[in-house]
Amino acid sequence: MKQSPQLGKAEEAMKPGVITKEGFLGTDVRHLVEILTEDDAEVARLGLTHEVVADRMKYFKEEGLKGEGLLVDVGDDFEVSVESVRGKLACPFGEPGLISKSNVRVTNTRIGKAVNYTDFHIHMIGEHGFYQGKGSPYRVSPKELKEVLAINSEE
Amino acid sequence: MDFQWIELIQSVAVVCGIATVLALLMVIADATIGNYGEKKIVVNKDKELKVEGGNSVLTTLKEQGIFIPSACGGRGSCGLCKLKVDEGGGDYLPTELSWITKEEQKENIRLCCQLKVKNDLKITVPEEFLNIREYEVKVDKIVSLTHDIKGVTFALQGGDELDFKAGQFVQLQVPEYDLCEEPVYRAYSISSVPSDRKKFDLQIKYVNNGICTTYVHRHLREGEIITMNGPYGDFYLRDTDSEIIFMAVGSGMAPIRSILLDMAEKGISRKAVFLYGIRTAEDMFLYDELKELENKLPDFRFVPSVSRPDETQKWDGETGRITDILQKYLTNPEKTEAYLCAGERVIESYKAKLTELGVKEDKIYYDSFGGN
Repeated sequence: MKQSPQLGKAEEAMKPGVITKEGFLGTDVRHLVEILTEDDAEVARLGLTHEVVADRMKYFKEEGLKGEGLLVDVGDDFEVSVESVRGKLACPFGEPGLISKSNVRVTNTRIGKAVNYTDFHIHMIGEHGFYQGKGSPYRVSPKELKEVLAINSEE
Repeated sequence: MDFQWIELIQSVAVVCGIATVLALLMVIADATIGNYGEKKIVVNKDKELKVEGGNSVLTTLKEQGIFIPSACGGRGSCGLCKLKVDEGGGDYLPTELSWITKEEQKENIRLCCQLKVKNDLKITVPEEFLNIREYEVKVDKIVSLTHDIKGVTFALQGGDELDFKAGQFVQLQVPEYDLCEEPVYRAYSISSVPSDRKKFDLQIKYVNNGICTTYVHRHLREGEIITMNGPYGDFYLRDTDSEIIFMAVGSGMAPIRSILLDMAEKGISRKAVFLYGIRTAEDMFLYDELKELENKLPDFRFVPSVSRPDETQKWDGETGRITDILQKYLTNPEKTEAYLCAGERVIESYKAKLTELGVKEDKIYYDSFGGN
């Protein structure tokens, strides 16, 4: 699959040592266009959209912020904590400005699983459909997000 | 056929020639373009440093024993290492502009981890930064304060002493290990009393995948020698007679504990309340010590509040978020100074509530931390 020059530039910015030391592609050898296309298909298979996933992530972040630095219960099934992390990151897709990195941890107590993400993930998923490459320590897969955050399919 | 062979040999020779010239050009460029030679940095119109050009101002100054606060180790992601560059800085770099306001641009404030020493420079370094030094310290004691907060006591070596104000912070250097390929610095508030200049305490909360917190919680051992520098920061008790409200959660207790211990030693008996947020009674630590301060400081009250009371745990103190109980303890908002230590978003929430209740914005001092 042919990659546009814009995506090629973003892929370069995602390599280790450009924006972050580890980069965003992990051990994935696919081009960015393939990573995006395959995750996009996966999201569609799950009956979701990137916007719905990002909105749910944002919802838990906002609920977690109400705890003012402490773990909070959200409904009967979730525990959420939000912690500030000093520092901001530039968007590898070249959008102006910097994105903050508040750490969100959502535990689904009903199934006993947790997921960690940041404002940066919410932006990358909502605006660019990017969940990071396979092998990246910070990748969160669409399937994992659907399961832990209990996201309903768009039907 | 012979003609074809000659043509092939000629082509190979041309390609080899071009490659050789290009390689030579790269060697010459590497030796000249990246080599800025010796440069001069004049500090505060007074001190003249002769340095090798090419590195960032942050790194170059560090090599000269001048430490500028930076929480990200010079990667341009924390925005802390701002410095006035009066001459020689050149145009602003795109990587600086997200951090520097228009007002700061008028003042020639630069992000010194991004700005390289390519010319002679004239810079203004705040006097307090000139007192910052690098030290080798020994890990004297590690204790578990809660399930995710460690208290670490460091001892200075030889004749070294750390002269700091209660509320200030230091930067620890994490050596290279699984999570970092090169040493990185992270900032932590000192939680002990400044009168002990031979030792200092930090309270470090574990953060998932945090480079420094993971090192401290999983690898750091008593007896280990660590490099640190400091002290930094302007979060310290102002010399007034205003009433005081302290607010913190979790390891945000650290600088406030230091201030309170200092107040007790110096007999500063201003009316003060410390609202401390915890989720459950199990998260409380140093309770007896902080309650004991109520005896040493007659006008001081320590008020921990549990946000999620659990029937199985004994708790007869306040419940709810500390912003929920703030009004009850804020008796004289217009004459109150507030000292806050928490994450950036929590600080915003505290500030909003304090100003809503009548505390003047310029009387709110805070130490905003991130967990890394």
